[in-house]
Amino acid sequence: MTGVIAMHRLTKSFGSIHAVADVTATVVPGRVTAFLGPNGAGKTTTLRMLLGLVAPTSGTATFDGRRYDELPDPVRQVGAVLEASGFHPGRTAVDHLRVISTAARLPADAPGRVLAETGLAEDARRRVGEFSLGMRQRLGLAAAMLGDPEVLVLDEPTNGLDPQGVRWLRGYVRRLADEGRTVLVSSHALNEVEQTADDVLVIARGRLVRSSSLAAMRAEAGVGSRVRTGDPDLLGAALDAAGQPYRRTEDEFAVEAAPESVGELAAAHGIVLHALAATGGLEQAFFRLVGEPDPVEDAAPEEVLR
Amino acid sequence: MTALLRAELLKLRSTRLPLGLFLGTLAMVAVTVAVSVPQVDAQDVPLTLDDSRLLAVVVGESLGVPQVMAVLLGVLVSTQEHRYGTATSTFLVEPRRIRVLVAKCLASIIGGLTIAVVSLAFSLVVTIGLIRSRDGDLTAGPLLWQVLAAGLLVLALYGVIGVAVGALVRNQVAAVVAVLVWMLAVEYLLLPALPSLGRWTPLGTTTAVLQIGPSLDLSVSLLAPPVAGLVLVGYTVAAAALALVVAPRRDVM
Repeated sequence: MTGVIAMHRLTKSFGSIHAVADVTATVVPGRVTAFLGPNGAGKTTTLRMLLGLVAPTSGTATFDGRRYDELPDPVRQVGAVLEASGFHPGRTAVDHLRVISTAARLPADAPGRVLAETGLAEDARRRVGEFSLGMRQRLGLAAAMLGDPEVLVLDEPTNGLDPQGVRWLRGYVRRLADEGRTVLVSSHALNEVEQTADDVLVIARGRLVRSSSLAAMRAEAGVGSRVRTGDPDLLGAALDAAGQPYRRTEDEFAVEAAPESVGELAAAHGIVLHALAATGGLEQAFFRLVGEPDPVEDAAPEEVLR
Repeated sequence: MTALLRAELLKLRSTRLPLGLFLGTLAMVAVTVAVSVPQVDAQDVPLTLDDSRLLAVVVGESLGVPQVMAVLLGVLVSTQEHRYGTATSTFLVEPRRIRVLVAKCLASIIGGLTIAVVSLAFSLVVTIGLIRSRDGDLTAGPLLWQVLAAGLLVLALYGVIGVAVGALVRNQVAAVVAVLVWMLAVEYLLLPALPSLGRWTPLGTTTAVLQIGPSLDLSVSLLAPPVAGLVLVGYTVAAAALALVVAPRRDVM
C-alpha cells in the first residue's frame, strides 16, 4: 500500500508554548481523513511539519516511511493546498502553475490539464490579484494536482468558497479518495466535513484527542435537540423528571435526546414549544472533545418545527 | 538545478516589477550621464572635456543606479516569496532549500548581468553622443574595456548580495529600506568623510574596481582595482554563505 501518512510523536514547541504535542496518527489511502480542531489547535503547524516547512522539535512525519524532504519527486507524490494567499497577485494563473511545473520538471501540458479540472480554464490568463478567494482556493487545488499525486493535503480548503464551491469541493475530494488516493483535509468545523470524511483526527490544544472512523464517532455521539419554550421552568422540571440530561440558557435548551422524544415529552406535560430542532449529536460530541462551548445555542436552527 | 533556475527566471519574467525596475534604471543612467559629462566651458571640474579618461569614467559612473537596482532585484527575488506566501509552494516543489537559494543566486547573477549589459550599451551610446556634441575627448583605450568588464562583475555580484540580504531579512519593506539607506546614504557619507574606512565598504571597493575615483577626487585613498575586486567577491561569498547557513533552518509559516 502506498500513500500512507504516518506521524509519530510529532511535537513542535515555540519557546515554552507547545503548539503540537506528541501527535501519533496514520492516514491511509482510499479514504478522506478529516483533521479537525478549533482555530489555533495546531492543525496548520502539524501539516507544515508534515510537509517539511516547519522543523519538528521532536518526532517524525513520513510518507511511506520517508520524510517530505527525502521524497525523490515530491510534487508527483504529495499535493498540498496550505493557504489562499500563496500567490503573487501580479502573476497570471497559468504562469503560477508554469513556475511550479517548470521547477518540478512536469510535462508542459500539466497546467492546462489542472486548470480544466478545477474549472479555471477560462481564467488562465487573468492575474491572480483579480481572483476571488474561491478562485484562489481552486487555483491552489490546481497547483496541488499538477503532479497527479497519490497524497493530497488540504488545509481549510473550504475557507472563502461559496456554497456551490463547497459542494464542488466535496465531490472533488470524494472522487480523489475513490480513485485510491490519500486525502487529508483540515477543518475547524465538523459540519463542513461531515458529509465527505471517512475518518477523523481531532486535535485540541496541540494534542490528538480522537482518532477513529467518523461512523464510530457518530454511533457514540447519538443525536440531540434544541428546544425553545415559553414555559422553561416547566420543561426543565419535565426533563429532570425524565432523567434527560440538558443544558439551559434562559428559555432555550440543548437536550441530549432526539427531537421526537423531546416533542413527545413536552406534549405529555402539555408544554407549548416555540422551536424544536435536531442538532447533530456528532457536533456536540466534537465540542465536548475539544473542550469548547457549543456555539449551536447561538445559531439559528436548521429545521424548525412549530 | 537547471529546472529550478528556469523556474526562478520565469518568476522574474511573469511579473511587471522587474521590467519597471529595468526601465527606471535606463532613465537614471541617462540622467547620470547628462550630469557627468562636463559643460563645454567647465574648467574647475575633476575631469575636463579634453581628458582622455573621460569616456571610461563617465560610463563607470553611470553604473551607480544599476548597482542599486541589481541589489534590489536580488532582494525582490528572495523577499517576494515571503511577502506573497509563494515560499510555501516553492519549498513544496524543492524541499532542499539550499538548492532553491542557489537557483535564486544564479537567477540574480543573470538578472544583474542583463542590467549590466543593457545599461553599459545604453550608457556608451548616450555618453559618446553627448561628448561628441561638446567636441570632447572620445578615447576608448584599455581603461574603457576594464570599466566594462568591471561593470559586468560588479552587477553580477550585487545581484547575489541582494538575494542574501533578502534571504536573511525576509521582510521586503525592511530589506529594501535597509539596502537604500546603506547604499544611498551611509556609504556615500562614509566614503568622503572617513576614506580609510570608506574604501573598504562595497561602495569604496566598487568605486575602485570601476576606476571612477578621478571624478570624485578620491583616487589616492582607494584600494587598487584588483584588490578591491577581490574584497567585493569576498563580501559576496560571505553574504551568500551566511544566507545558505541561516535561511534553510527557518520555519516557513
